[in-house]
Amino acid sequence: MAAVQGGMVDEKEEVDIKTEPQSDGFVNTNATDGRQLSPSPGSSSSAGSSKTAAGAPEDQQTLLAVLQFLRKNKLTESVEILRREAGLPEDALDSKGVDCGAPGSGGSAGGVDGLDAGSLLSRVTVSSSAGTPAPTKAAVADDQPDVSVVLSAYSQQGDPALYKVYYSDLKKFIESVLDCHRAELSQVFYPLFVHMYLELVYNNHESEAKAFFQKFSGDQECYYEDDLRVLSSLTKKEHMRGNETLLDFRTSKFVLRISRDSYQLLKRHLQERQNNQIWNIIQEHLYIDIFDGMPRSKSQIDAMSGSLAGEAKREANKAKVYYGLLKEPEIELPLDDEDEEAENEEGKPKKKKPKKDSMGSKSKKQDPNAPSQNRIPLPELKDSDKLDKIMYMKEATKRIRLGPENLPSICFYTFLNAYQGLTAVDFTDDSSLIAGGFADSTVRVWSVTPKKLRKVKSAADLNLIDKESDDVLERIMDEKTASESKVLYGHSGPVYGISFSPDRNYLLSSSEDGTVRLWSLLTFTCLVGYKGHNYPVWDTQFSPYGYYFVSGGHDRVARLWATDHYQPLRIFAGHLADVTCTRFHPNSNYVATGSSDRTIRLWDVLTGNCVRIFTGHKGPIHTLAFSPNGKFLASGATDGRVLLWDIGHGLMVSELKGHTDTIYALRFSRDGEILASGSMDNTVRLWNAAKAFDDLETDDFTAATGHIHLQDNSPELLLGTYMSKSTPVIHLHFTRRNLLLAAGSYAA
Amino acid sequence: MNVFHGAVLGTVLQVMIQILKDMGITEYEPRVINQMLEFTYRYVTTIIEDAKIYATHAKKSTVDADDIKLAIQCRMDQSFTSPPPRDFLLEVARQKNQTPLPLIKPYCGPRLPPDRYCLTAPNYRLKSIQKKVSSAGRISVPRLSVGAVSSRPTTPTLGTPSAAKAGAPVSLTGQRFTVQIPPSSQTTVSKSTTPSTPAVSNVLINPSLIGSKNILITTNMVSQSAATDSLKRKHEDDDDYDTL
Repeated sequence: MAAVQGGMVDEKEEVDIKTEPQSDGFVNTNATDGRQLSPSPGSSSSAGSSKTAAGAPEDQQTLLAVLQFLRKNKLTESVEILRREAGLPEDALDSKGVDCGAPGSGGSAGGVDGLDAGSLLSRVTVSSSAGTPAPTKAAVADDQPDVSVVLSAYSQQGDPALYKVYYSDLKKFIESVLDCHRAELSQVFYPLFVHMYLELVYNNHESEAKAFFQKFSGDQECYYEDDLRVLSSLTKKEHMRGNETLLDFRTSKFVLRISRDSYQLLKRHLQERQNNQIWNIIQEHLYIDIFDGMPRSKSQIDAMSGSLAGEAKREANKAKVYYGLLKEPEIELPLDDEDEEAENEEGKPKKKKPKKDSMGSKSKKQDPNAPSQNRIPLPELKDSDKLDKIMYMKEATKRIRLGPENLPSICFYTFLNAYQGLTAVDFTDDSSLIAGGFADSTVRVWSVTPKKLRKVKSAADLNLIDKESDDVLERIMDEKTASESKVLYGHSGPVYGISFSPDRNYLLSSSEDGTVRLWSLLTFTCLVGYKGHNYPVWDTQFSPYGYYFVSGGHDRVARLWATDHYQPLRIFAGHLADVTCTRFHPNSNYVATGSSDRTIRLWDVLTGNCVRIFTGHKGPIHTLAFSPNGKFLASGATDGRVLLWDIGHGLMVSELKGHTDTIYALRFSRDGEILASGSMDNTVRLWNAAKAFDDLETDDFTAATGHIHLQDNSPELLLGTYMSKSTPVIHLHFTRRNLLLAAGSYAA
Repeated sequence: MNVFHGAVLGTVLQVMIQILKDMGITEYEPRVINQMLEFTYRYVTTIIEDAKIYATHAKKSTVDADDIKLAIQCRMDQSFTSPPPRDFLLEVARQKNQTPLPLIKPYCGPRLPPDRYCLTAPNYRLKSIQKKVSSAGRISVPRLSVGAVSSRPTTPTLGTPSAAKAGAPVSLTGQRFTVQIPPSSQTTVSKSTTPSTPAVSNVLINPSLIGSKNILITTNMVSQSAATDSLKRKHEDDDDYDTL
């Protein structure tokens, strides 16, 4: 469905209407409602004061606007058909010239005037765009899908000079209500403020907008400071057109969760007034999720708010999520273990019984919370994978049990001479290789163990080796190419995401040039470049079973790929801003994405649907970590807080405060006992995850209302803070024996 | 040519610093301001130059606001594109997510897309030719036939049949060799059809690929003798090539 320039307006509008039920946000098709005659939910179309008499002329206006548009794009046949069907006289077209007057001339009641043909056209065809080269650049609203967005623009809600009065009126009212309701009703301030300001700007009331902003921006919550700063630079209508995030904010409804009692109070107050512009705005742009029960306290509200689109609706978090782990295949450990031989030097009789896989589930019963083995197709285990698993199990027996009394040792890998160019790091699962992605578009791989990196021999030499020998895997390697590190060239932009495959054969890297590259670690060459995101790709990760990988970027979607398909298999669309972090669930059936719109979404790989939305962070999210048992998710953002989420219930479990700067790395220990977090403030902190989750089990959840009462027990959960010498921590990794590895680049 | 006047530069600098302050950016390297200045200068000159062109096209004597607006819009579509709007993405996602996940074939080695979507194919051919001596003193030289040269150098991977068959790669140092350039519309597959015309077409050869050797480029146009020679060699090439 390409954005066709000057294509079929009708079709496009209809498609947009159809996508409404599926999309998270509503495309508020004000003007098109008149044409399509579809009931617009909630508010009447072109909200404003009484519109009863405005029905017919409004339809006429919109029809004329559409006719003009078609004519302008030389779709003469469509013009004829539409004119015939609509029964419009021929000369009606010419009389409604392009009237570039400001829509909704000040003082006129209602939004009808705001929707006259000229202004509609002026919105659609005005070609000027942002004059400033500052942060956001955008395509002109000539794309077809944008037409509906543009047409759903802000209509005039009464006299612009009175906006200040309306707002302060509401403020006074809310300050006068009972304490228990005040916190909840105060949630209305921010979205109302933003929408009113944008309306003023959109309708070209620059001075009133500035005055409005100056007067009331200081009242807003502190965590909206960054957004308000961006808003303050938006003073003209042209600026708005360039901002994709703001467009999304405008069309998707801001979600508020208010108790029924508070809501009734607000409704009564607003409806009994004569000029209920605020009520109209609320109906148009806000979605109020009403629940029955006690009103929430300020701290409860603060914990959950902060995202660009408000909180999550309750039904967004109701879908069943299979968070259990997949059953491990039963693998028999071989009889002739090398370790056993070393220990049994005296030739003691070895036990000949093969050891059964003790890592797998003991019972044969299916975990009700686990997905079935073939819910999504997964690659079968090769012999080399089975050998890997055996190694894994052997290492697991030597694993140190961590706990509050037994903290892990931390080994820090510092990248010297990177000059702030280190942008991504990854370790293999067995901690034998490190890969670093750099701002000079190279990827470098180092061997952590004394074993050097070797390339596979060329085809000619491979013909000469003895394929039947036992150490054939050693013989295929070319000794002449042995080196400590290898450099991989290919990207044309800084490498922001990097991920090893579980079988250590492949390496993925994602870059600002919009591609994700698959590198072979046998030949150290690039195998495939996956093109799909046309914008910087911020993160990528292989699935825990290999074969699938996920990537997320500036185009606000995350894509699921398989290594043998050149196009993505799934597209996870829904975020309002860049997707900055993508992680697979341990059972590979779900993908979590963190975004600059301060929400975390959990997507189902099978259907592509969003099954969970977690709000609460006050800054873009940069790291996510699933607990090894698959039940919990930890997230870190620029606000310096680590939040813990229960995936099954869809609720926040705990909030870990302590870091003072952006958190870039999070990792659970191998048993899920300890959570390690690394941040730009040059520290690694260890948290008692087991305790945070234990408290959870005994709590009585009010899952119906979704209320959480967070204890402020961060200091108790903090087990240790470890400073590095001015080296921000950008990656953490627990080895199979629970030694913590950290990586960062030295910032002199 | 056009240089920011010293006094003007001072005020523009202040403006840049103020912009950074207004947007809440407190920590930045000092070079950032230089970059912003350069960008602004380049952007404004580009817009104004474009606007001048549009004004002359519309046969106007002066550049007015409409020209500037048009210039900005055209530049916006070219350089500063933004990601697709949300409803479009949702629609595309809905369509894409309807198809079930494909089943995975077992036991098929490295799982990669079809060869034409991979970067594993070589983008050059090596040919080594045994000369049938007709004139004295001619040494057997390996030929480097440059096919469609892409700007992306790939290292030879395991799947290079011609290289394997030719034995170890011949060292090219200090040898004089001729380059025959087939028409540029070649594929990167080594076993392609025989090159048709010996004419030199517009192939962009990356000199670094060939190196600092003596290169004699044979064309039909250069000289008669060379032409006949090249034709002769052509046939030999074809023969050898067919046997490979």
